[in-house]
Amino acid sequence: MAAPSKATVVLKAVKKITVQFCPFESNVRSTREFLTLVGSEKARATNMNCEVIPVVKHDKSEPVVDITYVDGEKLLMKGANLTSSEMLSAFQSRCVAKDPQAKVGEKK
Amino acid sequence: MAATLCSKLLPKHGWLPLTQSVRHGSKAVTRHRKPLHIQKQKLLAVTQYIPPAREFPPGAYPSQTKHVQEDNDLTLLMKRELKKLFEDCKMIAVVQNSSSSAEDMMTLRHRLYKHNITVKFFPNKVVRSFLSDSIYCNMGLLFVGPTVMFVSKEPKVKEMLTTLRGSPQMTLLGACIDNTLLSAQGIVSYSKLPSMTVIQGEVVSGLSMLTSHTAYLLQRHPAHLSQLLQQYIKQQSSDGSAEAAPKAEEAT
Repeated sequence: MAAPSKATVVLKAVKKITVQFCPFESNVRSTREFLTLVGSEKARATNMNCEVIPVVKHDKSEPVVDITYVDGEKLLMKGANLTSSEMLSAFQSRCVAKDPQAKVGEKK
Repeated sequence: MAATLCSKLLPKHGWLPLTQSVRHGSKAVTRHRKPLHIQKQKLLAVTQYIPPAREFPPGAYPSQTKHVQEDNDLTLLMKRELKKLFEDCKMIAVVQNSSSSAEDMMTLRHRLYKHNITVKFFPNKVVRSFLSDSIYCNMGLLFVGPTVMFVSKEPKVKEMLTTLRGSPQMTLLGACIDNTLLSAQGIVSYSKLPSMTVIQGEVVSGLSMLTSHTAYLLQRHPAHLSQLLQQYIKQQSSDGSAEAAPKAEEAT
């Protein structure tokens, strides 16, 4: 499933997202899809201060997404056995928990 | 039905009949299930669907023959183009763009065109099927998600890297330079290599160093001997001149 449940990704509560993967492995598909969704123009437009940094390695390491929130909390997702929709839902639930006001404003 | 009855009873136009029979008692739409007419019942019984008898349930065994999809003409055309591309171009880089607007794309293409690097888009499925047949099968793993190919005849890696640094959303995944598959770090180290002439000079000097060392070793002894003899001659001549000078002084 490539399409997420919600069309837009809100990055208001996020400071930095580091996506690290090794493209020659076979388990990086979901991580790359997550990067596509998070790094899209719409998502970036929600928060211009948020940095999305892709890191390409070649050491057979597992694909890892490291998210740092504005209040200092970190979310580490190991994407080897996760689908992109699962990762996105986990990420968005945390975002909504952190910033409910912005989300309610958007829903209205 | 009423119309046909009326047409028989009415001798002249415009005259209403004395009695009008209204059909009742057989409605089409009922609340209960209306019993089927016997003819319809017979027809349905005769034409009932009998499925073919299966020995085993459909999901029990894996299918023996995998239906290979034949390539349609567009795919063949694209494969031919890909083949030509791989033969012509020395450098083929694979980049993932998570997002870039049309303007960003245009500026990037313009900057790359200045260095004769073209940007190509191909469907991932076609590329992967083509690569699995050719010798570049390990490149097939790179083509997942939104990918773009940068191809050029000359391996101009430094310029490409500087251009890509300008657009943050492009992620360099890997490249095939001179039929060698390189990772991202490999590309960076490739760009730091000196040019061919410098490397050739270094290799030649390294090889000739050994032979020159051997020649020096062989000539060391005779050279030392000749130095010693020269010094001896100098000493002799200086002694001789020293003896001759006091003798001359004594004489005078």
